Amino acid sequence: MRILLACNAGLSTSLVVARMQDVAKAQGKDYKIWAVDQGEIQGELGNFDVLLLGPQVRHIMKRVKQLVGDQAPVDIIEASAYGLCNGEAVLKQAEKLFKQKK
Amino acid sequence: MGFSEKTTDVLLDIAEKVDGNRYLGAIKNAFTTWMPFIIVGSFAYIFKILICDTSIGLAALIPAAAKLLPGFMAVQYATMTFMAIPITFLVAMNLAKGDNIPTQAAGILGVCAYIGIAPQTVSVVIDTVTGSAVGISSAVTGAQGLFVGMFVAIVAEKMFAALMRINKIKIKMPTSVPPAISQSFNTLVPILITLYSLSVAGLVFQLITGSCLNEWMYAVVQAPLEALFQSPAGIIGIIIISQLFWFLGIHGGLVVMPVRDPLMASALAANIAAVAAGGVATQPVTRGFYTFFSVAGGAGMILSLIFAIFLVSKRDDYKMIAKLGLVPAICGVSEPVVFGLPLVLNPTFVIPFIFNSCIATAIALFATNIGFLACNIVDAPFGLPIPIAAFIMYGWRGVVVQAIVIAVTTAVWIPFVMVSNNLGKGETENEQIISQ
Repeated sequence: MRILLACNAGLSTSLVVARMQDVAKAQGKDYKIWAVDQGEIQGELGNFDVLLLGPQVRHIMKRVKQLVGDQAPVDIIEASAYGLCNGEAVLKQAEKLFKQKK
Repeated sequence: MGFSEKTTDVLLDIAEKVDGNRYLGAIKNAFTTWMPFIIVGSFAYIFKILICDTSIGLAALIPAAAKLLPGFMAVQYATMTFMAIPITFLVAMNLAKGDNIPTQAAGILGVCAYIGIAPQTVSVVIDTVTGSAVGISSAVTGAQGLFVGMFVAIVAEKMFAALMRINKIKIKMPTSVPPAISQSFNTLVPILITLYSLSVAGLVFQLITGSCLNEWMYAVVQAPLEALFQSPAGIIGIIIISQLFWFLGIHGGLVVMPVRDPLMASALAANIAAVAAGGVATQPVTRGFYTFFSVAGGAGMILSLIFAIFLVSKRDDYKMIAKLGLVPAICGVSEPVVFGLPLVLNPTFVIPFIFNSCIATAIALFATNIGFLACNIVDAPFGLPIPIAAFIMYGWRGVVVQAIVIAVTTAVWIPFVMVSNNLGKGETENEQIISQ
């Protein structure tokens, strides 16, 4: 599974990405997880299976959903898991989203 | 919750509208792309000191190094004194992405349309005699041309997109012609109509008003906006708006960016131009000022909150988040604390969360006004540990002002952190129940 995270400049989401990668590795899952600036989502179209937005950019959700369309499910990272950099919870959210889509 | 649902909805709606606005989005993305060039261009002064300065630089050891100065200053010219051109290109190109028309052609069209309207003569003084010569002045290519450039880029792209939708004016090619060739012919007539009509419109504007569009836009739009932005009321107003969004958990900087970033770029360019001309920089509020004083340690002064928690908090959950958020906050990233504590919609902390950045700005402006802090001519990238960035941009005085700013805002957070101690465990349990 390819999980893309996006926020402003991709800085704070990259903190979460590092934790998610650790958890995925510990669980023996071969996931690609990375973070980009919200302006770069368009360029990543087709490269991801799940897109998660930082809660601080939740106001861009509508536009991003239109942009991504049916290609992949999009959701906003649950705020407290995001703040606490809880990689496990965010990874679970991504997996759940991916399964729902299927 | 003290904050009414209605206000929340209105602000969310504004954030969505700003984000969804194609023109503001194109400007925002243009400045995001352009930002590294601004920083690199401003670094010419660092090279000047480190390499070409004959008392403290490399030139003190190797005198010939001083001769390299024009090489460094040329990069500054290519970026700072030329920023209106790439910004015009990028705005038109970004807009074209949304319109599904050839993006590179649209970008080039934006630049050509802008140069077509701009005055193509410069006044020159040779041996005290003033004359004029063919050329594009730095007022056209530099920061003074930013707003008129963006405006022309938008108009040109709109015309181009509209004309591209008219099939009748496309030059039909036989199907055997390679698609790339037929596309370049497809754009021919729309480009022709756009460029000539805009250039003529610019001329007509000049004939009627007596001043060219560049001068008019600068005097009527850009200069007043710059003056407002540089005034304490203007910049503090922008910060309050930004922090209101942060209080709702929305990235406030991202919302105010389309207005803020062009004005911060022009301020830095004005400072650099003033110093290059042998004068004194006069524009305090630059991107560096904003990033490393107004929102030092994260918007809302999050690093200061972390220090306040370390000093007086009795809550283990707060201390844990403060530890988690410390290193990101030193680099200006506030999200772990904003969402972890949380500060979002948290009535206990709303007052310092919104106003601490205003206090920080006021202190730094005061330090500038009394002459302690010089307006910066060197920029530094976001994400750099804040004291290092302050030193690069302002020298040791910047670090001192930053330390004062952090100390004062930490003191402002302390009583609120003490109040949260008294709220105690009961609330924490409630929050957990809600989140489950």
